[in-house]
Amino acid sequence: MANRCTQVLLILLALPALAVPLACLIYLLMRGLPGFDSSLFSLNFSSAGFDDKHSVIPQIMGSLALSVLSCLLALPLAIGLSLYNRLYAGPRSKLFMQHLLTSFQSIPPLVYGLFGLLIFVHFLGWGLSLAAGTIVLAMIILPVLTLNTIHAIERVPQDYTDAARALGMSASQIIWHVWRPRAWRSLLTGLFLAVARTLSETAPILFTATVFSGASWPDSLLSPVTSLQTHIFYLAQEAVDENTVARAWSSALVLVTLVTMFSVIAHLLNKRHIKHG
Amino acid sequence: MWLRSWIRFSVIASLALVLLFVGFLLSASAPFFFNYGLSPIIAREWYPYENLYGLLPALIGSAWVIVIALSLALPCGLATAIVSVEILPQRYHGLINVCIDILAGIPSVVYGLLGIALLLPWLENNLDLLSGHSLLAAGLLLSVMILPTITRLSQDALRDVDTSYREAARSLGLDWSQRLFSVLLPQAWPGIRSASLLATGRGLGETIAVMLVVGSIDRIPQPWYNLLAPAQTITSRIGREMGEASVGSSQWSALMACALVLTLSVLLLSLLAQRPART
Amino acid sequence: MDKVTAATLADHAANSPKQAALVRKIRIEINGLSLKRAGRIILNRLNLSLANRGITAIIGPSGAGKSSLLRCMNGLVNDWQGEIIIDGVASKQWPCGADALRRHIGLIAQKPTVFPCSIAGNVLFGIRGKQRRQDNGELIESCLKQAALWDEVCDRLDHDAQTLSVGQQQRLCIARALAVKPAVILLDEPTASLDPRSKNKIEASLRGLATSMPVVVVSHDLDQVRRLGGHTLFMCDGKLIEQGNSETLLSTPQRVETREFFQWSMCDCPTDAEK
Repeated sequence: MANRCTQVLLILLALPALAVPLACLIYLLMRGLPGFDSSLFSLNFSSAGFDDKHSVIPQIMGSLALSVLSCLLALPLAIGLSLYNRLYAGPRSKLFMQHLLTSFQSIPPLVYGLFGLLIFVHFLGWGLSLAAGTIVLAMIILPVLTLNTIHAIERVPQDYTDAARALGMSASQIIWHVWRPRAWRSLLTGLFLAVARTLSETAPILFTATVFSGASWPDSLLSPVTSLQTHIFYLAQEAVDENTVARAWSSALVLVTLVTMFSVIAHLLNKRHIKHG
Repeated sequence: MWLRSWIRFSVIASLALVLLFVGFLLSASAPFFFNYGLSPIIAREWYPYENLYGLLPALIGSAWVIVIALSLALPCGLATAIVSVEILPQRYHGLINVCIDILAGIPSVVYGLLGIALLLPWLENNLDLLSGHSLLAAGLLLSVMILPTITRLSQDALRDVDTSYREAARSLGLDWSQRLFSVLLPQAWPGIRSASLLATGRGLGETIAVMLVVGSIDRIPQPWYNLLAPAQTITSRIGREMGEASVGSSQWSALMACALVLTLSVLLLSLLAQRPART
Repeated sequence: MDKVTAATLADHAANSPKQAALVRKIRIEINGLSLKRAGRIILNRLNLSLANRGITAIIGPSGAGKSSLLRCMNGLVNDWQGEIIIDGVASKQWPCGADALRRHIGLIAQKPTVFPCSIAGNVLFGIRGKQRRQDNGELIESCLKQAALWDEVCDRLDHDAQTLSVGQQQRLCIARALAVKPAVILLDEPTASLDPRSKNKIEASLRGLATSMPVVVVSHDLDQVRRLGGHTLFMCDGKLIEQGNSETLLSTPQRVETREFFQWSMCDCPTDAEK
């Protein structure tokens, strides 16, 4: 009897965890879907952001450019760091690295944004720019990506490495022929999750990379961009007109779709990885 | 050879970034502490135009928001983890995981939008407030945002409890709730503890969603338990005023001091969360 | 297979009048017990009965279903067919549910699992509710004494139990099972992978327990079965092949399967690897 009561109580407590996400999703679809029309994805994006029929293509391109570029920037560093961890680091420096990465992972993205604002935007004089936003996002994602890559390489059985070493293979041959075939899938999973994660960051690029309107497609790395995240932020904060608010919801739906797309790809890769085993 | 130089480059570049970052935090906030000492941390007034920089309202605001968020998300997340690992049969696990994935996948700015559209009007109507912007709104929103972290990590902690412990307790004739409270929860406790610490750290650093619903008014709640009043958190203050402050001004270094306090507290939480893993 | 009664054969165990007062009468009847796992038959219409007291050893090759039999009796496994009747009550209709049944039928696993708390806390682990709040010093002492562990740990009952050696941990598990006052004790290879000294201690403890309750031991070690005396069952492929007084069965097995098994065991071949 007491067991039943405890179980029922626990299920009641857990209900919000089921109801809230479904409610959020349904509400998001309800508000966002009506705004999906041809003008939302129109390639003619000369109109300013507050126009209630503006296209969000520049925002989508800006968001994707920021997150894909930052992940591609962070990936080589992450691989380099995890190879250092596997090949050269002793137990003490491994532990130190682990702690340092976990600590930097926990630092709020906002603080990285401040760092970017001071160093890149003001000190180096890049102004609000794609480059500054990319580097800030890359710094945010670097610890996560590195920890993931270390994990992926560690999952390659030690026997394989020993056998390859016994055959007289060099470090780079082992990496390419032994580790790469086994680890690339989880590496790719990590990369896609990192893209999804950077797509959802708003605070760090608010001061470093994005403007509300006037930017359509960046001419160079040093020109400002617009992004879905900050676009939603400005609209949420300032829009009063019903139609403009509707644009915010449509943008939110587009953003959630993009994030979901990348994490679903990551999950699929991961699942097949486990199956193949 | 290229391999060696590549690895060396990544290590040196990362270390340089780490040092640059630490140097940035310290040097940018140093002028503030040199000029005003440590007393602003407990001062109540924040008026940048009169050079009054009291951190207390934002600190109290952050504390309240995280307390509300944890007190809601911890029971719910833990219960969800227990329900999904210990009560429901395997075939329902997918459903719960999808729900948690949805929560984790919604970007914080979208949470902010949802908060403005749903939470604020709801609070205004039900609690008869002039404006829904309040500590309570921020806490509620944040509790939803840290729920996935708590649930996932607690699920992992429960799954990691060794089968032999479960069987030993079962063969002694302990019933379900006795097993839960005497075996599962104590065994999973280190994991649950670090889950809550990590969630606290994430919640403290959350900016956009909190900024959109907290009201951003530098006031200590009056009386101290008045959660329905608009207030300020550390992150929302930085987010609000960063655009206005000119680099190098005293307001800028005051904001950097806020960032330093935030970073230090989050680092402390992260170190506490890492400790049991070391043994 | 025929149903057999172990009671009369086990009665040779010495019992003083004082001990007789402690003896709890119990009778376990197993009729047509079958168990399947992933399409494989583990137990095949097994019949067996146990009563009163004395040691019953179960021997047989790996995969014969010995451990599964114990787990069915204790109720850790529930999806079996057939019936297990304990003192005239079918175990699936046990008055206060499966958890109460498991308190009635103590089971000790092959690998000792001590909980991360003190030695005393481990002994009292199965005791919950009102009784736990009372002074349980005497209970702890008597249980540890019966498990032949008291002398080694009496001065450090509040120490962490996980610092004990594996042999001590196994005896602690026996004490823990005794603390909930079971009517019968089932042990699944309790001395596998233990050193001879711990083996001796556990065997001594089991002989002591057998004077007051039925003790069922799954064992791979034929010498140990001989030392423990009592009654022996030989199981193969989920069936009871042969049973009888340990001495007789070990020296003059009647069935060809039993003889084969003994031959393999005598020449010290790894019987485990066969199936």
